[in-house]
Amino acid sequence: MPTFRLLDIDLTTGTTRVSDVSDRFEKYLGGTGVATSLLLETPAGLDPLAPEAPVIFAIGPFSAVFPVVTKTVALFKSPLTGNLGESHAGGRLAMAMYGAGFHVIRLTGRAAFPCYVTVDEDRVEVHRAHSLWGSSALAAERILRDHEPSSFKRSIVRIGPAGERCSPIAAATVDSSRHFGRLGLGGVMGSKNLKALVVSGGRYWPVTEKGKYNAFYQKIYEAVVNSPAMKKYHDLGTAMNVMPLSRINGLPTRNFSQGFFEGAADISGETFAEKHLTQHLACGHCQTGCIHMATLRERFDPEEHQYKTFKISYDHELVYAFGSNLSIQNPEEVLRLLLQVEKEGWDAMSIGVTLAWAVDAFQAGHLTAKETDGLVLNFGDAATYDKMLHRIKAGHNGFYRDLEKGAVFCAKKYGGQECAIAFGGNEAPGYMTGLFAYLGYATGVRHSHLDSAGYSIDQKVLNEPKPDEELVQGLYKESVWRMALNSLVICLFARNIYTKEAVLEGLAALGLTGWDEARLNATARRIHAMKLRYKERCGFRFDDLALPGKLARVISGNGQVTSERFARQVAAYRDLAAKDAGELPAEYR
Amino acid sequence: MGKLLRVLNREQCIGCYSCMFACSRVWYQAITVEKAALRVKNYAGIEGAFSIRPCYGCSDPDCARACPTQALTPRPGGGVLFDETKCTHCEACTQACVPDALQWDHEKNVPIVCRQCGVCVKFCPNGVIGMQEIAPAAR
Repeated sequence: MPTFRLLDIDLTTGTTRVSDVSDRFEKYLGGTGVATSLLLETPAGLDPLAPEAPVIFAIGPFSAVFPVVTKTVALFKSPLTGNLGESHAGGRLAMAMYGAGFHVIRLTGRAAFPCYVTVDEDRVEVHRAHSLWGSSALAAERILRDHEPSSFKRSIVRIGPAGERCSPIAAATVDSSRHFGRLGLGGVMGSKNLKALVVSGGRYWPVTEKGKYNAFYQKIYEAVVNSPAMKKYHDLGTAMNVMPLSRINGLPTRNFSQGFFEGAADISGETFAEKHLTQHLACGHCQTGCIHMATLRERFDPEEHQYKTFKISYDHELVYAFGSNLSIQNPEEVLRLLLQVEKEGWDAMSIGVTLAWAVDAFQAGHLTAKETDGLVLNFGDAATYDKMLHRIKAGHNGFYRDLEKGAVFCAKKYGGQECAIAFGGNEAPGYMTGLFAYLGYATGVRHSHLDSAGYSIDQKVLNEPKPDEELVQGLYKESVWRMALNSLVICLFARNIYTKEAVLEGLAALGLTGWDEARLNATARRIHAMKLRYKERCGFRFDDLALPGKLARVISGNGQVTSERFARQVAAYRDLAAKDAGELPAEYR
Repeated sequence: MGKLLRVLNREQCIGCYSCMFACSRVWYQAITVEKAALRVKNYAGIEGAFSIRPCYGCSDPDCARACPTQALTPRPGGGVLFDETKCTHCEACTQACVPDALQWDHEKNVPIVCRQCGVCVKFCPNGVIGMQEIAPAAR
């Protein structure tokens, strides 16, 4: 039976410690379950940017071992919401952690100097890196790949300047354009003076159950490569959602003023594929290759024929945040803005939604030319957004420095709270399909569309209406089951391949015995209850969740969503969760 | 005439490493990329492009020439055969392989020799690599 090890790195003292945490994997599967148990053991009331606040990276028993189990989960206390910080990223990190022989890496403390950390199996070092501080998230990777050669496949997690400034909407970037985007991991790393983490190693598990392992591997491989299950993701990618969502009034446009974008065809997955798609990339051990890379070639000298070319990844969320939601329909303008976001290391959704709030707030008179220092904020004005991003980056004035603190912070300070489109403090993702999208963002443990996929429920009920009370149970059930998937840290794109039956077969193929459906379900419920316990301990209350005022007025893909209807179903979700509170292990009560 | 591994469409590589996992799994029962007898090299940044380094099955292999103890000898049909008992772990072979295709097993401290079996090809989702008939004169 495989063993699972935790690597602790204290940045204050530069000391490390390795411990066997196989018992936690037995209890909580791995990934988000194990990391949640560790987070729950931190003192209540920690400042998210305090040295004692941990950053926990975790993978699971399937990571690197089966196809499409490519994600690493990061847990931390979110400086954006003040409660559970959880973000998932692909790339090669899961593979590298497995190779290093650590299923969990926990960083605490604060280095006395800007640093990066290398983990090459048991060789762990904290390096001084003054020269790296201030480099873009892209430059930092290029430099570290040169500076830290390894015999093994490496993964590099790093922050851009936004993270160094401890922005609560800063991301941590992984390898080629994958991100721990949401909830401010970049800011937490910045608070620790930690520019980057480089992980590598050649450790591996032997195949012990050869027949079972190979049969299961082959089955998953066939489903990934030869069945329709992953077609959407490698064909047009999630950007294929742009047109259909707009058609059903579900594509957030001009800060969620409407769900129809007149320019949707110009920023659709089809248009990006025809005009800009240059290459697909994959995470380590995923044959799908869902990462869509766009190329933009530009002439930079008006006198001479001199050109520059850059590549940038795109997907639905990025196209929404810097396309429809800011009313930009020129894909080249979208790509140029995304490049800035990528270099600076912001979460694209959070910074995009915050810019959209600023336009609304400016037009409503909450902001004036005094705050914007002369800029007139309009929807569709990419040149002004470009200037705004440059001003945020330069810390131009107090207002621009505030913009990288997120929409909720800004709205509280400057006004226009009803136009800050955030749930539980986190800026909203790119679906305004109706009540269940909003409920999913609000009730989800990480306030993400990936918590429970409410947008999917909205789209299904368009053709087959059902009572809210029935649907909210489905939403809750999905959010609980995803605790199991996220503990195995399967890429959720493969959620229809890794069914309950498949998960059980995979565990058996690794010699992890004693799992059945009942135990899997109980473990998922327990992890969900643990996350809610952590959130509550940090002050989260379901009853505080509110629908942003603007969303109660506009028409979503499923018609109008009133605040009362929203509140009723939040309460229903709260009650469903309360029924499962008994699953909470005694030590966390 | 035997078939040899070749890179057919380098530009179609997505960097999934499925080929390397397959090689390690089948020949070493190891769940890793590090036992594979070929390498998919990636480069920094979202400019990402890949370079695939399979054993070319040379008829007069530089690695075998470099081996001081004849642990590596030319294999009929191309490539090399490896006799572990003769290996002195000097790594002269991997240094002699110009494309860096011959891999080193850091665990056992020996070269990882390609058998030209083609299992890597079976697990490439994008037709990047293939087994091809190569005339002896072209090896």
